Amino acid sequence: MIFLPCVFCLSVVPVWGDGEGPAFGYSTAILGPGNASVETAFMWRSGVAMFGPQVSYGLMPNLQISVSAPFHLDHGDHPTGRFTAMMPGDPQVEVLLGWRFFHKSPAIGTRNEATLYAGLSGLTQDVPRADGPPLRRQPGMYVAIAAGHVSRRYDVWAGAGYQRYGTWSQGIDDRQSSSLLTSFVVGWRPSFFDHDYPKPDVRFFWETTGDLIGQAQRDVPPPGSSGGHDHGTAPPPPPPNSSGIVVLPNSGGAGIFSGPTFLITYHSVAFQGGVLFALWNQPNGLQPPERVRAVAGVTYYFLGRHK
Amino acid sequence: MTFSWTSWLRGMALAGLLLAVAPVHAEYLRIQLRVYGLDCELCARGVSAYIQRMAGVKSVDVSLKKGLLEIVLTPGNTFKISDLRKRIRENGFRPMEATVTAIGEFNGSRFDVLGSDESYELGRHDTKTKAPMELTFDVH
Repeated sequence: MIFLPCVFCLSVVPVWGDGEGPAFGYSTAILGPGNASVETAFMWRSGVAMFGPQVSYGLMPNLQISVSAPFHLDHGDHPTGRFTAMMPGDPQVEVLLGWRFFHKSPAIGTRNEATLYAGLSGLTQDVPRADGPPLRRQPGMYVAIAAGHVSRRYDVWAGAGYQRYGTWSQGIDDRQSSSLLTSFVVGWRPSFFDHDYPKPDVRFFWETTGDLIGQAQRDVPPPGSSGGHDHGTAPPPPPPNSSGIVVLPNSGGAGIFSGPTFLITYHSVAFQGGVLFALWNQPNGLQPPERVRAVAGVTYYFLGRHK
Repeated sequence: MTFSWTSWLRGMALAGLLLAVAPVHAEYLRIQLRVYGLDCELCARGVSAYIQRMAGVKSVDVSLKKGLLEIVLTPGNTFKISDLRKRIRENGFRPMEATVTAIGEFNGSRFDVLGSDESYELGRHDTKTKAPMELTFDVH
């Protein structure tokens, strides 16, 4: 837990959004070798507020590593899932590798590129729930792919990612919802803001995301077993299924969100933010449906450090 | 020891001759390089900072609209365009044609940039000039 305050302190002055691309959706890795960035993002969704510091570093051409550690400022009543591409939607530390395996630059100011992401994460906070004790989750893994076309006037990005939590220690820990997140983003730089370097660079995006969040699971130790953890005086869980797993009914769901976001970069700082509105939202249980999601972040870049 | 005007003049002439044939370092003076893929302020800043740290670079200007890097080099540098192209590719962009001003000498129809181990086929031979000369030419 010492890690979190350290990262927080590191991040309050220089902070980052997802950098060159969308605020919620997928974009490709951008850091060159030796370049680094530090971000802090504030993420809000109905009933849940999170603060997400992230540090990224360009390991070599086309390979970047990011470490993020979002944590709850205000937790919700029910398990949620990932809702931004580059950072977990739950309090955990995630190490994410981004490999830009394809890139072409066919013209002035134009690039086509694609990045594969793979990451591992571990729990940092036990999140209280309305209908039971905190879920003590197992480590998770995350894979995603993003592709985009960028130019001086228009950008298009698309991507999808899947986060899954481990099952190998069933009977000892609970299991958070797995999640599938997809995004499609169009962006444009109005001619009014189409200035040459070094002037502030302003871009607007319209982002649409779709997420499918699975139901969380709680382990139930067999009678007489010492496995599992103490669930305290919480209400009795639903009966376990044939595998001894209790599937929590008020967790997960599906939704499609869409809305405007922006990115402003100047010198080594990027400001990013936006709001998504629910086009369709179908929780699995009794959770209140989400109406709005918001992100605001700042990034500071350390560029040209490679000698 | 007595002062001799003849000896003094002879010494000055020798010093002048030595200076005239002193080895010339790699002398790229100015490079205008077209780069594809630069679309944003951050890209320009990253590439500019990356190149600025290369030995021999005095200044870097970037035009996003023209996709052009203008690099001015310090005298006596050991700069190589092949290193420049490599660094730009490492940052995810594509170096294209360049207009180069450099000091070098013709070797047949090739123009050797002195001290850089880099030469360019310019398709002409200036037989009148044997000494190092400053030349501006296009590189594709």
